[in-house]
Amino acid sequence: MKLYSIMIFFKKLKKNIFLNFFNTILSLVILLTTLLVCLNTFRWFIFNADWRVVTSNLSLYAFGSFPSDEQWRPAIWITSLLLLSIITLCGPCWKWIQQNLLLAWMSTIPLGLYLLYGGFGLSPIMSRHLGGLTLTILLTVCSSLLSLPFGIVLALGRQSSLPLIQKLSSIYIDVMRAIPLIAVLFFGQLLIPLFLPVGIEIDRVWRAIFAFTLFVSAYIAEDIRGGLQSIPNTQIEAAHSLGLNQYQIMQLIIIPQALRIALPALTNQAIGLFQNTSLMAILGLVELLGIGRSILANPEFIGQYIEVYVWLACVYWLVCTIMAILARHLEQTMTINQTNF
Amino acid sequence: MEPIVIAKNLTKSYIQGLRALDNVSLTVNQGKVLVVMGPSGSGKSTLIRTFNGLETFDRGELNVLGIKIDATHNERKIQKIRKRVGMVFQQFNLFPHLSILENITLAPVHVQKRHQLEAEEYGMYLLNQMGIDSHAKKYPGQLSGGEQQRVAIARALALKPELLLFDEPTSALDPERINEVLDAMRRLAKQGMTMIVVTHEIGFAKDVSDQVLFMDSGKVIETSTPDVFFSNAKHERSRKFLNQLEKH
Repeated sequence: MKLYSIMIFFKKLKKNIFLNFFNTILSLVILLTTLLVCLNTFRWFIFNADWRVVTSNLSLYAFGSFPSDEQWRPAIWITSLLLLSIITLCGPCWKWIQQNLLLAWMSTIPLGLYLLYGGFGLSPIMSRHLGGLTLTILLTVCSSLLSLPFGIVLALGRQSSLPLIQKLSSIYIDVMRAIPLIAVLFFGQLLIPLFLPVGIEIDRVWRAIFAFTLFVSAYIAEDIRGGLQSIPNTQIEAAHSLGLNQYQIMQLIIIPQALRIALPALTNQAIGLFQNTSLMAILGLVELLGIGRSILANPEFIGQYIEVYVWLACVYWLVCTIMAILARHLEQTMTINQTNF
Repeated sequence: MEPIVIAKNLTKSYIQGLRALDNVSLTVNQGKVLVVMGPSGSGKSTLIRTFNGLETFDRGELNVLGIKIDATHNERKIQKIRKRVGMVFQQFNLFPHLSILENITLAPVHVQKRHQLEAEEYGMYLLNQMGIDSHAKKYPGQLSGGEQQRVAIARALALKPELLLFDEPTSALDPERINEVLDAMRRLAKQGMTMIVVTHEIGFAKDVSDQVLFMDSGKVIETSTPDVFFSNAKHERSRKFLNQLEKH
């Protein structure tokens, strides 16, 4: 039986790859090239690459120039995020865990801000000391969280029956979608300080977060608008017939359903946002990519950029994968009973 | 006997000539069941939807539970009516993102500001009455059409309404599922609920209704007791319609 299946395998191989002379040559060339590339990569990984540039700077990649005796603070934050992800994905289905998961996720944000910025018993840290993966995560979390309500407001505004609000929202969304992200980020870093009155200063991290929020909320608004439009009018009629008022219908019937429909698109935006934070390296924030660049500027590690960028790619890939898995989990739990639209 | 709904000369026209409602007048007294019949497009759905303000009308007067509305469609008065009138739709229109019990407690909690626990208790009582209390934690998508429609009735009852409107409640159901919904409606009628029902179910109309109103192209053709209507309808048009219906 086993022999038979092996024979079939070889027969298929012959039929598909070594059909005639020309095909055989082509197949061999492709195989050889692939093999050589793999071999070279492998050799570089093991023998040529000098991974000290990664291993001796791990704390820099993680925390940037955060004061070294306070580094337990961002470490606790990132670990708690990781633990929470693990519990969400494969934790036991105890009722109290399921009920408090959302609360736990929400509380990671004030916890993170408290741990990173200090105050109330912890020594305060200036935001120029933030860096590395910590800063990348902070940028992603804060921008996506701020842009969600703003995006909802814009989406509702675009559907509004008041012409002024409708026009303003449409113009805002169209303008933001017509400007490249990097231009918005430059605007945030260079122009906002000029517009603000003397004495008021927003630090660079928060200027970046606001710029991301302004940009991403336009896209989120369009995603949510798609959700809003797919809710049938009969839902609104049913809600009206129960005596709910306009505001309650929005809050209890329309927005929850629209968010659920828009969820795949929204998680897509969050993952995109995470990757786009790397643009801040150009504007001088030392987030994950920025810290890599500044390590490369160190004479000790000069010229080792392949190692650094391979490492950074791995880190970005890892975080994005975790986010994607979490997003899929969220979609599954939320859409489990949704067949009746 | 107190009149619950008094409609006087309701008229609603779409583009010129086409009238959805043409001088419709009717009275429904407390505890009575009115069945509205008619071919599709005759305006029966439009009529029943004006009673809780889902449709506007151009001329005429409407008095529902002592609240008078006219063509100006006063939003606050309509809101008052909606809090006291329940409605059941052809397509159930349950909220798919809420569980069965949440569907039912939504309006009592948010419109009548009742306590969550009290609303849930009453919701479970209603589900029990409808024979579907075992599904309370499920979602609408997991239920059959007949079960969903019974949930919709329970949802309409949750506000303790004084009038129930049914807009073709069994038209979207499998033939085997129709009876479970009709039985629930029969029980309600026995309990003395005032109901206006748009339906094609002759059996239900014969058993339960106190009056049958027959409409065609926006006009009331005849209003009779079911005995008269089904055995010896006054109007030629009604007889023709009944003939068509019985052939099926």
